[in-house]
Amino acid sequence: MNAIVSLSRLWLVLAGLILVAGCGDDDSTPPTVEPAAFDFGPVLDDFTNKVVIATYADLDKRAGDLLAAVGTMREDPSAENLTTARARWVAARVPWEASEGFLFGPVDFNGFDPALDSWPVNRTDLDGVLASGNDLTAAYVGGLDGTLKGFHTIEYLLFGEGGGKSAADLTAREFDYLVATTEDLKETTKALYESWIPSGGNFGQKVTDAGKGSPVYPSAQAAVQEMVGGMIGICDEVANGKIADPLTERDPRLVESQFSFNSIVDFQNNLRSVGNVYTGNYREDGRGLDEFIGERNAALDQRLKDEIQTAIDEIGSIAPPFREAIFSDRGQVEKAQAAVATVQQTLEEAILPLVLAD
Amino acid sequence: MSPIRRWLIYALLAAVPTGCGDGGSGVEPDEVGENRLLSGGDATVFDASSLAFENPIPSLNGEEMDRFLAGDAAFEQIFVTAPAEVGNGLGPVFNQTSCVGCHARDGRGRDGFGDTSPFLGSMLMRVSLPGLNPEVPGAARPVPGFGEQIGDRAVFGVQPEARIEVLYHEETRHFADGEAYAVRVPQYHIYDAYQALPAGVLTSPRMAPPVFGRGLLEAVPEGDILALADPVDGDGDGISGRPNMVYNFRSGRTELGRFGLKANNPDLLQQVASAYHQDMGITSPYFPRESTAGQVQMDGRLDDPEIGPKTLEVTTFYIQTLAVPARRNIDDPQVRLGEELFAEAGCSGCHLPTLQTGSHEVAALSRQTIHPYTDLLLHDMGEELADGRPDYEADGSEWRTPPLWGIGLTETVNGIPAYLHDGRARTLMEAVMLHGGEADGAREFVRQLDRSGRDALVTFLQSL
Repeated sequence: MNAIVSLSRLWLVLAGLILVAGCGDDDSTPPTVEPAAFDFGPVLDDFTNKVVIATYADLDKRAGDLLAAVGTMREDPSAENLTTARARWVAARVPWEASEGFLFGPVDFNGFDPALDSWPVNRTDLDGVLASGNDLTAAYVGGLDGTLKGFHTIEYLLFGEGGGKSAADLTAREFDYLVATTEDLKETTKALYESWIPSGGNFGQKVTDAGKGSPVYPSAQAAVQEMVGGMIGICDEVANGKIADPLTERDPRLVESQFSFNSIVDFQNNLRSVGNVYTGNYREDGRGLDEFIGERNAALDQRLKDEIQTAIDEIGSIAPPFREAIFSDRGQVEKAQAAVATVQQTLEEAILPLVLAD
Repeated sequence: MSPIRRWLIYALLAAVPTGCGDGGSGVEPDEVGENRLLSGGDATVFDASSLAFENPIPSLNGEEMDRFLAGDAAFEQIFVTAPAEVGNGLGPVFNQTSCVGCHARDGRGRDGFGDTSPFLGSMLMRVSLPGLNPEVPGAARPVPGFGEQIGDRAVFGVQPEARIEVLYHEETRHFADGEAYAVRVPQYHIYDAYQALPAGVLTSPRMAPPVFGRGLLEAVPEGDILALADPVDGDGDGISGRPNMVYNFRSGRTELGRFGLKANNPDLLQQVASAYHQDMGITSPYFPRESTAGQVQMDGRLDDPEIGPKTLEVTTFYIQTLAVPARRNIDDPQVRLGEELFAEAGCSGCHLPTLQTGSHEVAALSRQTIHPYTDLLLHDMGEELADGRPDYEADGSEWRTPPLWGIGLTETVNGIPAYLHDGRARTLMEAVMLHGGEADGAREFVRQLDRSGRDALVTFLQSL
């Protein structure tokens, strides 16, 4: 889901603001001096290099760690090696979820997202492939649909229904498939990382050149609008999709990362992603939109930062696993959902108008 | 004041009729300028990011927004092989597993078929035999064993009906001033068919078009579109728009076709239902028989329809209420010059800048002045773009004028652009120069332009 609710709300807010401003000229407050235009250049630079590329670099590295672990497990299917592989899956999941605050660019239009994160898993076809005599190479798996590969297929193979799988349960064919699909995942994360860096597809330059000849972003504002749209989009997805769908339908089959019971951590990392985009901080500190907002409205800047932290904390207070919490801890799930929606609302109604007005 | 803020004020003045009082003063919309900023009238949004095509029209009420959101989720739903608890019923042969898989971000697809690039290709191949469908009045005759469309992907254990690849060779052509430009000439190969394709099969490659703004096009009164038709070129301008008249599966009547690259669907509900059915192999109340019915690969499961009327309804509502992005840089002298050249060349003879909508249950779609740059009619596009496959009354050289609104945001939303019905054009100018038939005169006008004129024309298109 997307920044859908957002712009309609924004529209109403702007309509109100501008009409009020436009109609009351004669007797309202004297015109204030417009603040000097903010230079978004450093924000776009740090967002590109210190947040996006750094996150994708982590994702690619951790996908490599996961690949090594599943290879080791195939050689020696011990309980310990299964535990390690599962831990590596969870670790690789962190930068992926932390990248969902910027699901635009090559991850979207090169099809990396569906290759990495399609849901649901096509279990009927997966059973068919496993029962077949087909050679289970990475090239073969790479040619299959997104619902037969990526994080959730690997998750299903590693954790199984209800998380109750043991290493001894895995057949030789499942091991082969697991290794092949993880190799494919690793190739995809590498391609994703390279699509942004100067020696690769260099999409990063299309962001940093916004308003300076970028064919994608004719103005810096367009690129910043993209950043804010990305933050709004993942808040919307978490509040109104990932949490709302299973909560409203009372249906644990709709829960993301349901085999690994990793949903709560996934959601938290989605919100951390919002914070990373906003502040420009990830592994190292950068210049973020918070500098711009802080300059225009320091209280708003602090409010948004607090709201992001509150949302992370409220999600963390859900009694795990999430698939049970939708029945047994509904009050806290609703609190977490509301906290995420609050972040979304602030982005839509306060942050985006400031960006567009600059 | 920044340009964006000024746009917003113009937009709001245009969109909020009461404004500040009685004098009708304030900002006078310039008929050719500011008014045209709002490509979708009240259904316009200000978004130049990659989300530009996926916004709801701004004034939906709460109930409408709920339907929009449900439709958005349906549009993103990935289908998988039956039996499945979520997303049941894919295929058994198909082109894509979700709506958004081809209409990425509600925008334009990419050239290529599922076989050569599983994630990128958003093309499909329509097929038929000469003659008419014995069951559907006026429709093309299906190919036994294949139907009207080749399912080039299949669930596991089922053979795709055929695989398709497209190979391009580049041809260099020249503008009148001697500057060279390149065009791609596609060649399609259909191979590995699960059974022999009969001789004389007619084929038509199609790439997924954008889907926003369609509610506005649906709300244009049929009579207005028919009035634009000039089937025998009575006015002698070389342009002879023709309506397609197509079968409505719900009413059982023949009606004006508006949607699809040859305007072969009368309304969005039928367009949506047939896309579920033909592109994904998902049965619905309107098309309850599997697309493979009667073929040896039919799955025979008794799970039809695989989606209910509510899914069709919300998906249709979603398409109807996707807003149109506002134009950008309309005061740029280059844009204004390009717009004049666009008209002078005769492009606007088919890419009609302005239409009016009639009444519609959604207020923002009702009685709007819109700037879609289409007449919704069929035009002969010449031999080079012809598919040679009739589709209802559209002949093998005719295509429906596609709307141009939002086309300047293609690279922002969808990455590497691919234009025209089959995605062969890599740039807007390449697309312009591939126009033929009724557009011969317009193309020749552009060919004669100097570099600055050509640049202005493209700059104008980029502002849409």
